[in-house]
Amino acid sequence: MEVLNKKRRVFVLGGGISKFAAERVDGNMRDWVNEAVLEALEDAGVDIQDIEHSTTSYFSDHFDKQLKAGAIFHDNIGMCPKPNVRVEGGGATGGLAIRNAYAYIMSGLCDSMIVFGAENMGRHVPSDVAQQFIALASDTDWEVQVAGFYIAYYAMMMVAHMEKYGTKEEQFALVSVKNHRNAMYNPKAHYPMDITVEDVMNSRMITYPYKLLDNCLLSDGAACLIFATEEWAKKHCRTWERKPTIEMTGTGCGTDFMRMADRPHPYPGITHFRGKRMAAEQAYKMAGVKNPLEDFDCFEVHDAYSGVELVSYEDLGFCKEGESGKLMEKGVFDLGGELPTNTSGGLIGFGHPVGATGIAQGVEILRQLRQEAHPKRQVELNAKRGGMDSHGGTGTFCVVNIFERRD
Amino acid sequence: MGTELISNLLEIFTAEDPMPFDHPEGDPWKDFRQIMRIEWKMEFTYRHILGKYSKFFIELANKRFFTTECPKCGKVWGIPRPLCADCLTITRWKELPGTGVLSSFSVSYFVPAFMKVETPYVLALVKMDGADTLFTHQLRNFGRVEDIKVGMPVKVAYATEPVSHPMLLMWFEPA
Ligand SMILES: [Zn+2]
Repeated sequence: MEVLNKKRRVFVLGGGISKFAAERVDGNMRDWVNEAVLEALEDAGVDIQDIEHSTTSYFSDHFDKQLKAGAIFHDNIGMCPKPNVRVEGGGATGGLAIRNAYAYIMSGLCDSMIVFGAENMGRHVPSDVAQQFIALASDTDWEVQVAGFYIAYYAMMMVAHMEKYGTKEEQFALVSVKNHRNAMYNPKAHYPMDITVEDVMNSRMITYPYKLLDNCLLSDGAACLIFATEEWAKKHCRTWERKPTIEMTGTGCGTDFMRMADRPHPYPGITHFRGKRMAAEQAYKMAGVKNPLEDFDCFEVHDAYSGVELVSYEDLGFCKEGESGKLMEKGVFDLGGELPTNTSGGLIGFGHPVGATGIAQGVEILRQLRQEAHPKRQVELNAKRGGMDSHGGTGTFCVVNIFERRD
Repeated sequence: MGTELISNLLEIFTAEDPMPFDHPEGDPWKDFRQIMRIEWKMEFTYRHILGKYSKFFIELANKRFFTTECPKCGKVWGIPRPLCADCLTITRWKELPGTGVLSSFSVSYFVPAFMKVETPYVLALVKMDGADTLFTHQLRNFGRVEDIKVGMPVKVAYATEPVSHPMLLMWFEPA
């Protein structure tokens, strides 16, 4: 992968988020994207007139029943006639959009890129219909007809993990407790809560072994990030000298078979995310990460279901296979721990408007590296590096991106 | 008013600022908080082609379980695919005995209404005898949930009543 022209570098200039909530009745996707974009422009100190390109991030054409929505987001913020491209990778769409900004800027196709993402998935359709729409992201000929229910797939993965490694329900309940708690210090979060492992364990069983509080919710919301080269930033970014400099130093992407049933054994089998391991290896190599537990100060990890976060730790190289539950019990991933994860609240606490989620992870890492996060969720900076893990399907699409602070 | 002219009108209301904490100087969108909600109904029916693996479903109706084998690398895919994804060779049909071992499962106590199944509903991944990869389907007639164990032998059962999709011509049961 020696494709990178080291003379070009990509910097993260600013970010914005329009509140994640169960149902944003105050507007629709285009309104939320506008809000996220305005905040990002203000944060970056740049004018939209100077930005050369945009990337659209949303997952479902069913939820908003607006095809080619990117054209609307793009024209609403006055980007026409400049170029736009949409990327899509299920739950990994936001991570792919960030990766796309990196690729376009590194290639020289543009020197600046605004990335915006949103999803309209709250309560404007009944939750049954919403579940059916999401189920369409699994194989509609072979899986949806017999299962059609994402939690049932993920529960099978977790049963296999528990069977193979002895992972306990209480260990992944801890993920839910941590992420709901972290969200309490994020005013834009959908689901902040101070709960205990017992609360999670006693919440309604949806699909064994996952209880109600192990799951993320469907959220409305939007997020935006602005990227550029140093040369462009020096010319167009009013805050370039004033704010800490944040560089994007790594990106990786991996995939796996759409259907878990087709994946090879023993690895990844039905316990692990092979695409995530590949994405992490690529991103770590680019950024020079050797020991992720030491080389990152914070990491946003995909936690659509609490157990997914544990398994992700193993494929992101934070620990060996089967050891994530024990590290979770030791508090390694709590605020104040060795590697705080999902300081934003993650999908479980912050929310999961799919197309916005991966971008919001990037906004959180940007805030953390600039030391702008709420004091109660601000991490200590040592490595001055943060990572994010964006994930779709049952690990069908995985993207890992890395930001670093340059002082 | 005039709004009664709108046949699909659901409501008109004033929305609150969802981010007052960001707007200490006042709501910048205060002139845009009046919101209308309408009903929008769309219905579609597809004439769906089940692709080159249609034979699988045709044979299910004959109470036979077929999959595909790669003539080059020998891999037998649990779920048939016309092209071997390992070596890009066109596969050939192979009948399996329809028995296997439970690789993993999940037990749902709540399912979306579109699924039309009884709860608790058990989704199973099964290693079919004679196949190298797994097959996904429901496990029925399992008795008590506590009796479902990874590693237990299961077999394909075939429908005798009308079904709403060819995939539902089969399911798994304890063997
Ligand atoms: Zn082959």
